Amino acid sequence: MSDPSSINGGSAVAMVGKDCIAIACDLRLGNQSLGLANNFEKIFQFGDKTFLGLTGLASDVTTLSEVFRFKNNLYKLREERQIEPKTLANLVSSTLYEKRFGPYFIGPIVAGLDSKTSKPFICGFDLIGCIDFAKDFIVSGTATDQLYGMCESLYEPNLEPEDLFETISQALLNAVDRDALSGWGAIVYVVTKDKVVKRVLRTRQD
Amino acid sequence: MDIILGIRVADGTIIATSKAATRGISILKDTDDKTRVLNKHNLVAYTGESGDTVQFAEYVQANIQLYSMRENDIELSPKATASFVRNQLATSIRSRKPYQVNVLIGGYDTKSNTPSLNWIDYLGTQVELPYGAHGYAAFYANSLLDKHYKKNMDVEQGLALLKMCLKELETRMPIDFKGVYVKVVDKDGIRSID
Amino acid sequence: MSRRYDSRTTIFSPEGRLYQVEYAQEAISMAGTAIGILSTEGVVLACEKKVTSKLLDNDGSAEKLYVINDNMICAVAGMTADASILVNNARVNAQSYLKTYNEEIPCEILIKRVCDIKQGYTQHGGLRPFGVSFLYAGYDDRYQFQLFTSNPSGNYSGWKATSIGANNSAAQTLLKKDYKDDLSLKEACELAIKVLSKTMDSSNLNSEKLEFATLSLSKINPGQVIHKIWKDSDIDSLIKESGVLDDKNTDDD
Repeated sequence: MSDPSSINGGSAVAMVGKDCIAIACDLRLGNQSLGLANNFEKIFQFGDKTFLGLTGLASDVTTLSEVFRFKNNLYKLREERQIEPKTLANLVSSTLYEKRFGPYFIGPIVAGLDSKTSKPFICGFDLIGCIDFAKDFIVSGTATDQLYGMCESLYEPNLEPEDLFETISQALLNAVDRDALSGWGAIVYVVTKDKVVKRVLRTRQD
Repeated sequence: MDIILGIRVADGTIIATSKAATRGISILKDTDDKTRVLNKHNLVAYTGESGDTVQFAEYVQANIQLYSMRENDIELSPKATASFVRNQLATSIRSRKPYQVNVLIGGYDTKSNTPSLNWIDYLGTQVELPYGAHGYAAFYANSLLDKHYKKNMDVEQGLALLKMCLKELETRMPIDFKGVYVKVVDKDGIRSID
Repeated sequence: MSRRYDSRTTIFSPEGRLYQVEYAQEAISMAGTAIGILSTEGVVLACEKKVTSKLLDNDGSAEKLYVINDNMICAVAGMTADASILVNNARVNAQSYLKTYNEEIPCEILIKRVCDIKQGYTQHGGLRPFGVSFLYAGYDDRYQFQLFTSNPSGNYSGWKATSIGANNSAAQTLLKKDYKDDLSLKEACELAIKVLSKTMDSSNLNSEKLEFATLSLSKINPGQVIHKIWKDSDIDSLIKESGVLDDKNTDDD
């Protein structure tokens, strides 16, 4: 129970569709069994179509979101362009491995579209930065097991943005309902070539 | 078993802290004030390992005040103050001997005229909440506040709600916490309530 | 005799002067002019670009204007290589403030931090001072729009309109004459062009010889700062609109 990555709870998931991606997270932040906040977002935007989801120890989620904001802002000024999903993935990986022997207790996921080719990209990491490239979906957080189950059964390739939204939402909501440490609302981003749509999902508050 | 409790209302933030200083099975003091004034519109309340608590609160207090001295009496906002404190605790948790301190920061932003309550634990977990508490008190107080807290309450209504929480804590907590000090942070600064 | 006092930055001369710092300032007074003007709606920075060669193939990004963070830009006069070290330092400082306080760094704090570095190089032995002066344009919610300059000694000061680099005293006389407190951003841009047209050596002004940047507030999103480093075409049309070229032509007649 004193496992750092399941003190605060929370989950995230990303999926690839037809020329689009979706990334979603729950909004709970708790202290063991006690729920503290239902507005703790775990997805952060870097650049126009690049997103990072961070689950795990809430302190490290905040710290890392600040670290990546720092690095991304400097990257933007230096390169005079937005960061690509693949670049962010490697940045996350090397940043986490720097702390190989005293790691951040988090499970990051990256999702986005390449700015030139608009090709979807998603990947996940372990807590020391090993990248898990995936063609279909990536899950992370305290509801990992449930999310794998939901995604395996609901996911199909080449979904249109609206259908992808429905699939990722159902996968996340039904997974977190079976996890005591996740839930309390959700956020879903659907990213297509010409727009990013953010939706807030009202869910059961127990 | 210390109690620290905070309620944010429309025009200010109320902070209550228990007066008992305990060590093992004894109450050493019944006039212990578990708060420090950071600047005119920021108040920190703390619980945790004795020794660490006061040391940490005063360290933060000194740094916030140093900032104002350097920057022509400009005050750090509640958001900046809370971020600074979180950062200190998040750094400390990965050090050889981390501060075991949990805090609530009651603040009032004079630029945007908004009150705030920040909940931060020793791990560096930070959330901005309408009401919150640390330790066992959180279990009793949160369920009460979930039911009775209303947006747009004024300080008077907030204090009435606080009384309700304290009554519950007095009946349910296993030891006497010797009452509480109550402080309000609003546009005029920080004041004590009898 | 004076050579004894020239070779180190840390030594005062018998007249109480720091020669290396003064030499650095002298170097800057030969660099391309940069002027900054504060208006009610924002700040404008304009620089003279010294055209070195037709064959020079740079990547199109500005040489003397740098974005520091979302709320600040700066213009450089002096050694570009020295400047890039300090600009990078300013960027990192701005981000580290943002990381600790989750708020954008107030302009003056950032400028103070960069100036502390500059000051250090006037005192610690064996190193030469930074050969750059800056013009900073910034916005923060404490003092709204601001314009600052800093020089190699590590001093900084706030201005309504000022200039650094070659001919800066001439430019400042012109600015003092024409500056008004209720200038709009557009009027400030035109004033900048007008002053530069008079202080620069070359007779006909165009985008090849100028760099231009403005800082203003978003009309859609209150509180959001927009910084724009101008495209060549925008600069050319501003020159045309301001009518400085027309004046020149009539003068020639």
